[in-house]
Amino acid sequence: MSEPGRTAIDVHDVQLRLGHRQVLQGLHLKVAEGGRLGILGPAAGGKSVLLKLLVGLLQPDAGRVEIRGTDLSSGDEKVLMRVRRDIGMLFQNYALFDFMTVGENVAFPLARRGDVEADEIRDRVEARLRSVGLAGSAHKMPSELSGGMKKRVGIARATIARPALVLYDEPTAGLDPVTTQKMYDLLSADQEETGCTVLAVSSDVKALMGFASELALIHEGRIRYAGSSSEIADSSDALVRQFVSGSEDGPL
Amino acid sequence: MNLHRKIEALGGAFIGALKSVRELARLWRGSLAGLVERDYPKGEIARQMYVVGNKSVLFISVTMGFLGMVMVMQSGQQLNRITGDLSQLGPEFLRLFIQEFAPTITALMLATRVGAGIAAEIGTMKVTEQIDALRLSGITPTSYLIAPRFFACVVMSLVLTIFAVVFSFSAGGLTAWSVFGLNPTLFFDASRVQVYDLTLGGCKALTYGMAIPVISGYCGLEARGGSEGVGTATTSAVIGSSFAVLLIDFLLSGIGFAFFGGGAR
Ligand SMILES: Nc1ncnc2c1ncn2[C@@H]1O[C@H](COP(=O)(O)OP(=O)(O)OP(=O)(O)O)[C@@H](O)[C@H]1O
Ligand SMILES: [Mg+2]
Repeated sequence: MSEPGRTAIDVHDVQLRLGHRQVLQGLHLKVAEGGRLGILGPAAGGKSVLLKLLVGLLQPDAGRVEIRGTDLSSGDEKVLMRVRRDIGMLFQNYALFDFMTVGENVAFPLARRGDVEADEIRDRVEARLRSVGLAGSAHKMPSELSGGMKKRVGIARATIARPALVLYDEPTAGLDPVTTQKMYDLLSADQEETGCTVLAVSSDVKALMGFASELALIHEGRIRYAGSSSEIADSSDALVRQFVSGSEDGPL
Repeated sequence: MNLHRKIEALGGAFIGALKSVRELARLWRGSLAGLVERDYPKGEIARQMYVVGNKSVLFISVTMGFLGMVMVMQSGQQLNRITGDLSQLGPEFLRLFIQEFAPTITALMLATRVGAGIAAEIGTMKVTEQIDALRLSGITPTSYLIAPRFFACVVMSLVLTIFAVVFSFSAGGLTAWSVFGLNPTLFFDASRVQVYDLTLGGCKALTYGMAIPVISGYCGLEARGGSEGVGTATTSAVIGSSFAVLLIDFLLSGIGFAFFGGGAR
């Protein structure tokens, strides 16, 4: 599905104002196909907003967003739908459909394609739920689940159709350290299997560093650091160092 | 400067209103298109009809029954004072209820019950990002969520209006008989009902049935923030739909009067 070397995500000089706040101001970001990018940043820094821009749920005031070579800024629904077919997304607050069972939620992106047999959908849903540690929960309603369980259902829903690009907004917030590690192992295994491009937003710096080869830090609407995750701790930028180490003294 | 501000605010409100009207028109077209595409969950239309109809049928029947009784008491007393001839009471009551009271009062009740329900449901989906998640799966919220509610409201508005006529007319006839001793065969006389009355009443019921889900759905889709936003959306849906019902009532009655002489005979 993916062609390594090609650019999966190209965000060019994006400006976005929401309400009275300039959320993004000149944000640049490039991710190669098959890459694993972790996104860090202080709260309300625009991380979730960036993910929504990448799937065309928000449109930039200025600048350009290209996904796998397609420019999203026309806002044309047909173009957006075609691009979105190949994207899976975990929302920060799960966004599970509360009128469907867990199984139907996970099956949804697959069922919408219309070219997968019902039997196969059932098998794949079962397998996916098992891999996120929720075997046997297919018949439950989302309201019966804990926050961490909902998160994992969201992960299952985002990945079931094996999209070429997967966006995770806080995939492990609210999970215990062991489950967190298990989830990142699962995301890694998925990514190795399908070769998809992954973007994961997380405030769990350590876990994210273990998962992502590249990291980007968003601060005040711009990318403050972009580079390999092994080098971020030695960045020349004091703010970046402070954020990664979590110490209280520094520019933040 | 103060005046300047006020003019600016007024202009802003005006532009906002125009935008809303354009958006409502878009939702209306989208609902119709969605019904053609049939891109909503299986069985959703039946479920929505049940929700709309079942929630309201008892409520509307009882209310309309009482209204029928009160109307007959009031107009019977007036007629007795003026002419003493109650023979026209039933036929005129029926015409009035078919063209005006049954569709309009039914719609006002639908606006509060069903309109609030639609806005709360869709508003909750909006603020919990379920709408975004739907769009991500290639779904147009209008086709998926509003179209089935639209269809259900249009059909149920008509059906419930018929219920309303039946219950108010029956209760009115019983009242006329028991209070004024009016012979039921004189009251239950449908021969004066004209095609005009049925058309006007039907058009009103249909238009109300379209306006309520579109306005309430719009309020839901525009919900912002958390549960507070859903509350605001629900309130605006009830106010907006009720106001729309009264406005449509005025316009359609006016058109009927101006172009068809009010169906006078
Ligand atoms: N729809 C919206 N309307 C107005 N402002 C918004 C909207 N969405 C986000 N914002 C604002 O944009 C800013 C960035 O929000 P965003 O959700 O991207 O933060 P974040 O980096 O994901 O933070 P967190 O780590 O807390 O999730 C916030 O100040 C927020 O209030
Ligand atoms: Mg966020």
